[in-house]
Amino acid sequence: MRANTWLTLVVILAVSVVVAVCAGHQWADPLDVARAFFGDDSLRGRLLVEWRLPRVLAAAASGALLGIGGAVYQGVFRNPLAEPYLLGSAGGAALGATVALLVPLGLPQSLVLALLAFAGAWGATVVVMGIARLAGSVDAAGLLLAGVAIAAVLGALRSFLMLALSDDTVNLQVVLSWVLGGIQTPSWPGLGLLATATVAAIAIALPLARGLDALGLGETMATGFGHDVRRLTDVAVLVGSGIVAVAVVFSGLVAFVGLAAPHIARWLAGPLHRRLLPASALVGATIVTVADAIARSALPPAEIPLGLVTAVAGGPFFILLLARQLRA
Amino acid sequence: MSIVADDLVLRSGGATIIAGVTLALPATGGVAVIGPNGAGKSTLLRLLAGVVAPTGGAVTLDGTALAATPRTERARRIGYLPQQFTPHWDLTVADLVRLGAERTGPVAADRLGNVVADFGLSGFADRRWSTLSGGERARVLLAMVLAVDPDILFADEPGASLDVRHRLELVHMLAERSRRRLCVAAVHDLDLAFRYFDRVVLVAAGRIVADGPAEAILDDRRLDETFGVRFRRLKTEDGTILQAVQRPTVHRQPIAAATATWRSN
Repeated sequence: MRANTWLTLVVILAVSVVVAVCAGHQWADPLDVARAFFGDDSLRGRLLVEWRLPRVLAAAASGALLGIGGAVYQGVFRNPLAEPYLLGSAGGAALGATVALLVPLGLPQSLVLALLAFAGAWGATVVVMGIARLAGSVDAAGLLLAGVAIAAVLGALRSFLMLALSDDTVNLQVVLSWVLGGIQTPSWPGLGLLATATVAAIAIALPLARGLDALGLGETMATGFGHDVRRLTDVAVLVGSGIVAVAVVFSGLVAFVGLAAPHIARWLAGPLHRRLLPASALVGATIVTVADAIARSALPPAEIPLGLVTAVAGGPFFILLLARQLRA
Repeated sequence: MSIVADDLVLRSGGATIIAGVTLALPATGGVAVIGPNGAGKSTLLRLLAGVVAPTGGAVTLDGTALAATPRTERARRIGYLPQQFTPHWDLTVADLVRLGAERTGPVAADRLGNVVADFGLSGFADRRWSTLSGGERARVLLAMVLAVDPDILFADEPGASLDVRHRLELVHMLAERSRRRLCVAAVHDLDLAFRYFDRVVLVAAGRIVADGPAEAILDDRRLDETFGVRFRRLKTEDGTILQAVQRPTVHRQPIAAATATWRSN
């Protein structure tokens, strides 16, 4: 492999970013974008560079995080249907974030949001793993079942909180739009933070590649090849949920990207994780960049929640995968 | 002395699967582990290979407890060939062999190419697992496990799912290997066990029943008792062939008892 594959992935992402910067309820010409970059000081140019570009880059970074997170999850659970949203970690992050948005805790909301989303994602994942181990089934099926159950409980809790805590002073619209997923236009420091988190996620996930590859041979083979399967599973699940938590903090609940990106990446780059993880990041970035562009420009002047766009596109994809797996 | 098991015990879910096995294996040679279904052959192999940890006793590798041996060191010195293997992802032959070779660290491309060639996989290095025949899969699995040329190979029913030609080929390869390395295999096919291995360990109910040179175990009456059959030992010019005959007493006893119960009613 296949320098071509990487080049293609990077070029497609770059093209998507340019198109996404052009897209909006007012479409811009790529030439306008270029001019805006090189010092066009008109209002329109400044809007493109200071408003639209950061949002597009944030979408790409969130997508990259979801892609890597999904690839790590699928690797550790050895199940192509594994997804952060099926395993409780995204649900946990969403519950934490709902509390942060609805309960006044006297701290800056952005900080509380990040912390509670993290806590929710880690907590939910640890509970899921605990339940699976208690039930004596640490295998993929046990974890997935526990994850589905916990995700349902967390979703119900979140809905209850939204009903119970909303009053005239709390804007339910804010929570709802966040739950439905959406990229907020970040400040430049915020974008820097997100970019750092994305690079860190790749740097932390890549050393897991060898272990995830071995896990893909089965637990017995992985043990025979010198891996501590239990420790490897623990570490990979925690890394995966940490990555998902970051994505959830920045983009709310965006479903199916963590599922679809690794699949597409596997078709393009093969199933070896040293290639799959970076490829999933690139594919995930492309998907969310495009989905966010559609969300912004499909029904002007309104904006469709990003989570709805990915769900509408991702649902059929999931069904297709399920059908393929059932046939196999 | 290369690998030693000292009073090995494995309990799982209230059942005792291995009930105290003590065994010393030399640095070279072929050892067949035989026994009826559920005797604990596979489990014993897993314990010896360090793939499963015992609940009692210990395995030592050249005087060091296997549990205290660094994992990478264990993976380099011991190869474990499972009975069944299905990768979760549809990897290519080259990638599978690479994963086997890389268990001790990064591997140069040319060395990887040598391993692929040594196991006769050059023709289909880029094929995916799902497209391989049973015989090809067995060779790929063997290449993965032996890619780092481990000192000891534990093979769980090698070739059990293969046709007779491929099974013979595989067992022959293990026998060749046992001239310079230790090969321990759980073997279902008794004729293969006695023909290709120097030493035979007979296992039943998690214990070693008999252990000795193949020729000695072949004539041992405990073989018949352990398998619950009577063996006819047919001498041929290629050695002795075992033909199992049902022991008449095994079935008649309960039927007679049942009849007696019926009469008394």
